[in-house]
Amino acid sequence: MKYHSQQLREALAAEYALGVLQGRSRRRFERSLKEDPGLRVLVAQWQDRLAPLDELVEAVEPPARVWRSIRDRIQLRLGRRSVWGSLALWRTIALFSATVAIALAVSLTFLTPSRHAREMMVVVMSGEDASPTMTVSWPMQHKGEPKLRIRVFGHPEMAAGTAWELWMLPGDNQKPVSLGLIGTEPTQELKIPRSLGPLIDRAWGLAMSVEPSGGSPTGLPTGPVLYKGQCTKL
Amino acid sequence: MARCALRDQRAFAQLYHLTAAKLYGVAIRILKRNDWAEEVLQESFVNIWNHIVEYSAARSAPMTWMTAIVRNRALDWLRRPNLERGDEDYDLLVEAIPDEGPGPEVALGNDRAAKALAECLKQLSGNQRQTIVLAYSHGLSHGELADHLKQPLGTVKTWIRRGLERLKGCMDRGG
Repeated sequence: MKYHSQQLREALAAEYALGVLQGRSRRRFERSLKEDPGLRVLVAQWQDRLAPLDELVEAVEPPARVWRSIRDRIQLRLGRRSVWGSLALWRTIALFSATVAIALAVSLTFLTPSRHAREMMVVVMSGEDASPTMTVSWPMQHKGEPKLRIRVFGHPEMAAGTAWELWMLPGDNQKPVSLGLIGTEPTQELKIPRSLGPLIDRAWGLAMSVEPSGGSPTGLPTGPVLYKGQCTKL
Repeated sequence: MARCALRDQRAFAQLYHLTAAKLYGVAIRILKRNDWAEEVLQESFVNIWNHIVEYSAARSAPMTWMTAIVRNRALDWLRRPNLERGDEDYDLLVEAIPDEGPGPEVALGNDRAAKALAECLKQLSGNQRQTIVLAYSHGLSHGELADHLKQPLGTVKTWIRRGLERLKGCMDRGG
């Protein structure tokens, strides 16, 4: 079935994205979507228009069994996938995740209303496998004590008797500067000294190291760096 | 190969942990039942896994793409024959989008897309705005909206259709 009139295509794409297209019309529309790239673009545009309404939804942590059963189901497919090989799927997923992490970091930051939109700095931090585990963001050119917003994903555990210390990496082979200790909670705020404001806006990136409880005794990272990431201006 | 597969799976686990809470929230809001929402979340992530390499062909932002998958699964689930959700009170959400004042901006966040949507929602009539927001956020059908608002089906359909047209016109002009 082809929808020829542009007005009809637009109206159906809108109703489909809104979720009110139903029954036979919905199934017919979904069949057309498969073979009509133009229609897919119209739907994607409507999804983007309506997406801010998702901000109204409260996040709810699903029970652990949900991930376990997803893992079991994709494991079956992993066996089959490896027959024809998927070399850098993880890279695709990691890149995809990084984009998602930036979007989440920004939406959280913007939830605090401000008069005018300022430039934001976002750091997506990852461990060895390049998947984002933490984001840090802050408004640039902040007057007063800059406040960093931190999101930690995936409920990592901190070993007993240790602390997580966040470091600014100024770049140009300069030594890391401590920004303070952080926790494992999903959302956190960290106030840093006013004097670091201009420096952090020019930093190359951030890193997080494992230190003895109370923080590094030397003023420089002493333990392993768990996560690291580069600053991105938005 | 096995090691590759393990790494793929670890990366995917991270993506899951990054987004599951938000997406589970979306499913619960539409389905109103945790057990259904769990099923839908599972199916959606298997679906995301299967299609993530094709994602670049889609045009929307990654989170929007994933949310759309969850929403569509949830709607498919709801519209199975002989399935009824309990009666719910949907007034809460409508209060979050009041007619005047800074409400929508605060509720919708402050980035450009959210501002444009909030601004344009304000320019719709109250009925158009209410039906569109309820349909999107709670997955209500034309029929359910008509029941809930005690209005004829045709009237509700017209509110939504006209509302969507005006919304597009307004957002294309940039708010």
